[in-house]
Amino acid sequence: MAPEKIKPGTAWMRVTAALAVLALTLGLAACGGGGGGGEDTGEATIAEAGPAKGELVFSNWPGYIDPGKEGTVAEFEEKTDVKVDYIEDINSNDGFFGKLQPQLAQGESGERSLFVVADYMAEQMHDLGYLQEIEREDLPTVFETLRSDLQSPAFDPERKFSVPWQGGMTGIWVDTSKAPDIKSVNDLFDPKYKGKVTMLDELRETPALVMLAEGVDPAEASAEEWLTAIEKLDAAADSGQIRKFTGNDYTEDLTAGNIVAAIGWSGDASLIENPDAEWRMPTEGCTQWMENMVIPVGAPNTAAAIEFMNFVYQPNVAADITEWVEYISPVEGVKPILEKRGSELAESEIVFPTEEFTRDCTGQITPPDYERVNEAWQNVLTG
Amino acid sequence: MSWRQRLVPYWLLGPGLLWLLLFFVVPMFFMGELALYSGSLTTGGLEFTWAWANFPDSLSGNEEQILRSFFYAGTATVLALLIGYPLAYAIAFRAGRFKLLLLFAVVAPFFTTYLIRTIAWKTILSDDSPLVSVLQTLSLTPAEGRVLATSGAVIAGLTYNFLPFMVLPLYANLERLDLRLIEAAKDLYASSRVAFLKVTLPLTMPGIVAGVLLTFIPAFGDYINAQLLGGTGQAMIGNVIQSLYLTQRDYPEAAALSFLMMALILAVVLIYLRFAGTEAFMGDADEQEA
Repeated sequence: MAPEKIKPGTAWMRVTAALAVLALTLGLAACGGGGGGGEDTGEATIAEAGPAKGELVFSNWPGYIDPGKEGTVAEFEEKTDVKVDYIEDINSNDGFFGKLQPQLAQGESGERSLFVVADYMAEQMHDLGYLQEIEREDLPTVFETLRSDLQSPAFDPERKFSVPWQGGMTGIWVDTSKAPDIKSVNDLFDPKYKGKVTMLDELRETPALVMLAEGVDPAEASAEEWLTAIEKLDAAADSGQIRKFTGNDYTEDLTAGNIVAAIGWSGDASLIENPDAEWRMPTEGCTQWMENMVIPVGAPNTAAAIEFMNFVYQPNVAADITEWVEYISPVEGVKPILEKRGSELAESEIVFPTEEFTRDCTGQITPPDYERVNEAWQNVLTG
Repeated sequence: MSWRQRLVPYWLLGPGLLWLLLFFVVPMFFMGELALYSGSLTTGGLEFTWAWANFPDSLSGNEEQILRSFFYAGTATVLALLIGYPLAYAIAFRAGRFKLLLLFAVVAPFFTTYLIRTIAWKTILSDDSPLVSVLQTLSLTPAEGRVLATSGAVIAGLTYNFLPFMVLPLYANLERLDLRLIEAAKDLYASSRVAFLKVTLPLTMPGIVAGVLLTFIPAFGDYINAQLLGGTGQAMIGNVIQSLYLTQRDYPEAAALSFLMMALILAVVLIYLRFAGTEAFMGDADEQEA
């Protein structure tokens, strides 16, 4: 039998028309439900406390807690009835927000009851109604041992929605065998290190440090001054002076010997397998930051999250974490414990910075005219 | 033929069409809608306002990255063809009992994820690696004596990652080649070169066209290779879209740019097919007319 010829033109058009109608119907139906997001207003939810049990999903940054059978998570599971699903899926504040925002806007957290973000991100999420507030009386251990200088930050004066996790400083990592004389961010622009330098892709770190090196205080800087710093970085990227803008991966480049110096974070020694690598406070100062545990809207197990916050604020537990992550602990009384344990970290200015050491440092500043400045910065990153 | 029989092809198409509808048409509809929103997520949310200006806005300032993506993806495609064709030819005609093993070797990298494979290249190409030392000795590295964080590394990564997409359609095509036609050409006093150019190459055009499309299209939109193997000034348009979506959270502009890139690729593919001929892609013209 000779196959009857299908007229491709008409058949195809009919299918297309049918599809279009169906798509339109589906589309319109779905439109009624979803919104653009960011419309939440009104009172923030209060996180419910109570006996901790069930499962706790906790999102954190890589290498940010002592792992293993003796680690803090295992210890917490042993002391309570909670099973912790600890995931390291945060690589940048903006990236994590971008990934989670559509869910948060719908009042869901993707099963997470706890995660860790920087001050400015906690503030932004709270402003959008994405975070739950925590009653002070539910956090007895936290408020007993929280360092006094962290009790009332400007973005959350009563610590209603944020509990500090770890803090750190952003400065310069130097391979002392190859570039011993790098001491200031300005030295990173020295042509003799062309293509051997990386910088962080964070707006509140790299351009801010460049401004500090130029003698401009980021906290007081105008949008124009931010843009001037960004232009300087753009020119250095174009000329090939800056090899790459990185996230955490600068640690790999330092380990592999691809670079001689990088703008990087003070606590990353554990990630850099290069005995000559050393974190240096830039002569003009650093940026300082603190990251916080927060409870998102839609968190399925707030009671366990609150219990966990109290748990890690016991100085002994906090000391375990510090010993492993080598960042700055928000908990009072960690230093004497480390001294007693005979840890070298107790003497480290990077883990226990004095006021004198961080004299010229500034916080993580969000620039004025944020959208315009950020767009200029992103254009440098994807130049 | 009854109308029932006439419906059979549509029933057979059904699952495929449903798939396309749910995972292509519907998402496209939402993305098209999103491209016409305005406002900002961090301040007050997005609003549907028929904001056509998103389209020209999304292009401005990104011309360089678009041209760069064409250049990188185009070079990678040409390299993949130059490497892939002899490879597919050798597997199809010269491999003997190693044929299956060689085909397996082409596909084997897929047992590891794309990301891990690309990260592995970071180690292979790092400045102090043996490979780079050899290249330095031969003066084959760019001025600064490195490979990683150069456009060469990005193109090499693209070529490596998409090579199987070139080899497999070429192999499938060469495999079916009727060798008697080449014999006939030689009987008619064609040299090996002429036989290849006049017989083998035209008959394997469908494989070449399919391979080129399967390599070029994903390579053009790729951002992993530029992100992991590239340095400053080597971002592709995929990196710009990623930054718009995830870092700047300018969803409308990201959606508009994605749409424009799809249209651009579609136009390029249509021009290419017009140039290469649809028969080359769809198979023998005579067969279709019968």
